[in-house]
Amino acid sequence: MPVAEVLAVDAVGVTKRYGDLVAVNGISIQVEQGEVYGVLGPNGAGKTTFMRMLFGLIRPDAGEIRLFGRTWEKDGTRVLDDVAGFVETPRFYPYLTGRENLVGLARLDGGGSANRIDDVLDIVDLAARADDKTREYSYGMRQRLGVAASLIRHPRLLVVDEPANGLDPAGIRDMRALIKRLADSGLTVLLSSHDMIEVEEICDNVTIMRKGDVVFHGSIAELREQAPEQGHRVSTDDDERAIAIGRDFEQLVVGRVDEGGLSVVGAQDEVDRLVKTFVDQGLALRALENTETPLQTLFFMLTERDHHDSELAAAVGG
Amino acid sequence: MSASEIVPALVAAGSRARRPGLGSAFGWELSKLWKQKRAKITLAFAAVAPVLIVLIVKSQQRPPKDSLFGRFIHESGWSVPLLILGFAAQWVLPLLTALVAGDIFAGENQMGTWKTLLTRSVSRTQIFWAKTITAVLFALGVLLLLSVSTILSSIILIGHQPLVGLTGQVIPSYTAALLVSASWATAIPPLLAFTCLAILLSVLSGNPSFAIAGPVVIGMVMQLGGSLGGVEALRPFLLTTPFEAWHGLIVQDRFYGPLEYGLIGSMVWCVGSLTWAYVAIRRRDVTGG
Repeated sequence: MPVAEVLAVDAVGVTKRYGDLVAVNGISIQVEQGEVYGVLGPNGAGKTTFMRMLFGLIRPDAGEIRLFGRTWEKDGTRVLDDVAGFVETPRFYPYLTGRENLVGLARLDGGGSANRIDDVLDIVDLAARADDKTREYSYGMRQRLGVAASLIRHPRLLVVDEPANGLDPAGIRDMRALIKRLADSGLTVLLSSHDMIEVEEICDNVTIMRKGDVVFHGSIAELREQAPEQGHRVSTDDDERAIAIGRDFEQLVVGRVDEGGLSVVGAQDEVDRLVKTFVDQGLALRALENTETPLQTLFFMLTERDHHDSELAAAVGG
Repeated sequence: MSASEIVPALVAAGSRARRPGLGSAFGWELSKLWKQKRAKITLAFAAVAPVLIVLIVKSQQRPPKDSLFGRFIHESGWSVPLLILGFAAQWVLPLLTALVAGDIFAGENQMGTWKTLLTRSVSRTQIFWAKTITAVLFALGVLLLLSVSTILSSIILIGHQPLVGLTGQVIPSYTAALLVSASWATAIPPLLAFTCLAILLSVLSGNPSFAIAGPVVIGMVMQLGGSLGGVEALRPFLLTTPFEAWHGLIVQDRFYGPLEYGLIGSMVWCVGSLTWAYVAIRRRDVTGG
């Protein structure tokens, strides 16, 4: 098979158990070269366990993982030759500076990439703090140093686990921009996240996991097709009357919200028409805001549904 | 060069020029060790503490007659290194080697850096041996510094008079120099055995404090056990017994049996500890660290 056709990640039937707990249950994920792929799920879904298995930090109990056609069993550490990234928060030696950490890690890659350290420090915007001890780094700086430590391996596949976890809004924005920039440059990216917005913003394809199982697998476009309409929260000076009015709008689902106000789900033009009707009938509109995005709503439906409720999973092919 | 130019250039770059070997991992371990205050302080202690002890010993009016060679400390500078060797073997040497060997694996757990190491291009085997060699070299370095510092300061501050041996024989200064050096060298096998034990505890516990204190406590328990009656069959296999093997060198008719048993016993401890530690590292699931 030509090198370009080899899958970056080809995981088939991968299972990991801890005693009676099945952390990952026979999942299969294929990532093509050049793709930006998301593994999405709430905490405990099995994303990090899957990432650990990719890096050989833990061994699967069943199934096989190939990275660019190589396996741990056959190729040993060569399986990581074109792969870099981090699992959970990147950790460094606190008594060394950022630069010293990178020099040491480059040495563990054969030393050939040491001359790129200044370049990668520029990319992650850490050049000015490169000679500070990493014990003085903020959480966000350590995340960025983790990306730098990955880039000095000049990988073809970048695997990042919850890269925006624990970052402040500006840090999240910067981290997403960095990953997008790397993806735009042709790097294959496998990203795990619990944030639907992050995956929607960055990824082409996604696998959604829940308690070790895959509940959705496909493109972001396919996921959008499955998503419900945008939800809104509406508050008026007379919510009882507003609900009565809403009943005349058959294409909208209007209900009461425990915290007060109404929940309105449906097409945007129908919602617009409802709001105009409220005003025409003398209701004072006090609030109108979007609830979670449709994809977020779908994500919650997929990952927080009751065990017995498999209708949605069936509907979306999970 | 702007970031938007650098990123594609990095991604387009070719494969690594060469694969890392054991030397790469060893070099990294050595450079990390050199950056740690603990290692520098230990080495400084090994170099300076003997000088201070010799100064104190020299200033004492009443020599410690109950200790081996204690009664001769003012009469020959060769007796002081033997006095210090007997004392150091009790817990100082196990502690000094464990300060690095006990931390070298467990420290990665504590800092959460196992996954940082294992997501690079070096294998677990290479990392294991790089760390083991580093710990062993550090132990040997500490012993060398301690012995050289002890012998030199004793000779300079007290003198190189002939030594009175354990059987009362007078040993000329030149011969005493060789025997004292050889006596310190006999500490190498048990010291390495303690190093390997500390490595094992470091791997199994993942707790630096436990792995540093463990060998010291085990050494003390073995000393206590070895001094009890009825354990003669076990004595050759205790880690502390080979530390006394040098006694056979400082008598009129030298005997080497304890040295041979000590060498074999220490080797058993080294091989057993390292085998167990290696298997544990190879099989370990790295989750937290």
